[in-house]
Amino acid sequence: MGGFLKILFSLALGFVASVASADSVNIQILDPWVQAAPPNVKVLAAYLEIKNNGEKPQLLVNVSSPAFDQVGIHRSVMHGNMAHMEHLKELTIPPHASVTLKPGGLHFMLMDAKKPLRVGDSVPMTLTFKNGDKVAVAATVRAGQMEGMGDHQHMDHSEHMNHNH
Amino acid sequence: MKKRSLLLTRGSLAVLLVIALSVTAFIGWKLSNDQVVKAPAEIEDYLFWEAKELTDFKLTAADNRTLGPNELKGKWSFIFFGYTHCPDVCPLTLMVLGQAFKILEKNPAVFPEVQGIFVSVDPKRDTPESLKEYVSYFNGRFIGVTGSTAELDDFSRQMSAMYTIHPKEAGQSDDTYLVTHNSTVFLVDPQGRLHGRFPPPQTPKEIAEVFMKIRMFYNERSNKRWGVF
Repeated sequence: MGGFLKILFSLALGFVASVASADSVNIQILDPWVQAAPPNVKVLAAYLEIKNNGEKPQLLVNVSSPAFDQVGIHRSVMHGNMAHMEHLKELTIPPHASVTLKPGGLHFMLMDAKKPLRVGDSVPMTLTFKNGDKVAVAATVRAGQMEGMGDHQHMDHSEHMNHNH
Repeated sequence: MKKRSLLLTRGSLAVLLVIALSVTAFIGWKLSNDQVVKAPAEIEDYLFWEAKELTDFKLTAADNRTLGPNELKGKWSFIFFGYTHCPDVCPLTLMVLGQAFKILEKNPAVFPEVQGIFVSVDPKRDTPESLKEYVSYFNGRFIGVTGSTAELDDFSRQMSAMYTIHPKEAGQSDDTYLVTHNSTVFLVDPQGRLHGRFPPPQTPKEIAEVFMKIRMFYNERSNKRWGVF
């Protein structure tokens, strides 16, 4: 029982601490998903929304997944009709704002899949922020969402991101 | 319903009829007077000023098949350049094009005329066989091709679809280099000429609807050339 109380106590302490620092609890991950791809594809993309409910900006500095050798924070950029990818060292989530990773813009580039992934599979990922906070995420593999694409909105995101940098 | 029946009195029907007749007469007069057939405004931006003949290129598909100018003749070809290690833009575009084909599939007169061609500009990592598996995931009507650097350079130059293979970044493995590529979907007409283009970002509905208009205009113009008008 002593051990249990100890855990309970430290949990409570941890809760109080995080409320006090107002950091980790303020990061909210919404709708994490991985774009379904042909089984022979080694490189996939993950998308999600990162919401910062806190008072301070949060810096995402690392992403990892046991299902892939490496994960990078990438952004697809269009120069005219030319598509290319940029590697970002970190991603800033401004206070009381959210950053959305979605097709055609920001994404986590999942490199060297350890095994083929199918629709419905869950991909565990860990997001590490500069303050040391780690957020565990389970992203579901699904065929890309097409809503909002009828009005060309999916490209607006990169412009929006530029304001945040 | 009551409102509608009130509106459709005999008088208003007659007025509508007169308007419709004069519009039709005006269009007929315009058509017979215009020497040069101008593309309708809604497809103008998608068309090249002059369709451009594609000559003497050779690319390789799976099962030892080659793709040259002859394979483009008699079909409308939607051509997209990319590479399979591209996790974001390439699957997105292929998915959009696959969905556009789904829309076109509903029209049995049109669908047999279309084919999708994915050109991988990354022959070091993509083989014709792996491309076959890759493209069939998006649509059964897609063909995957690649070639030697010289062959790809030649074809992409003819299509005005330049690409760049970047050196790998420091600390990255040999297989993780990035490629910059044109993400336009190009349209080649049944005479094997570069005819139109769908610049990014595309939508399935846009591709399907604009293509139907381009095809209609193309067929009308071919008929006119033979004196049907």
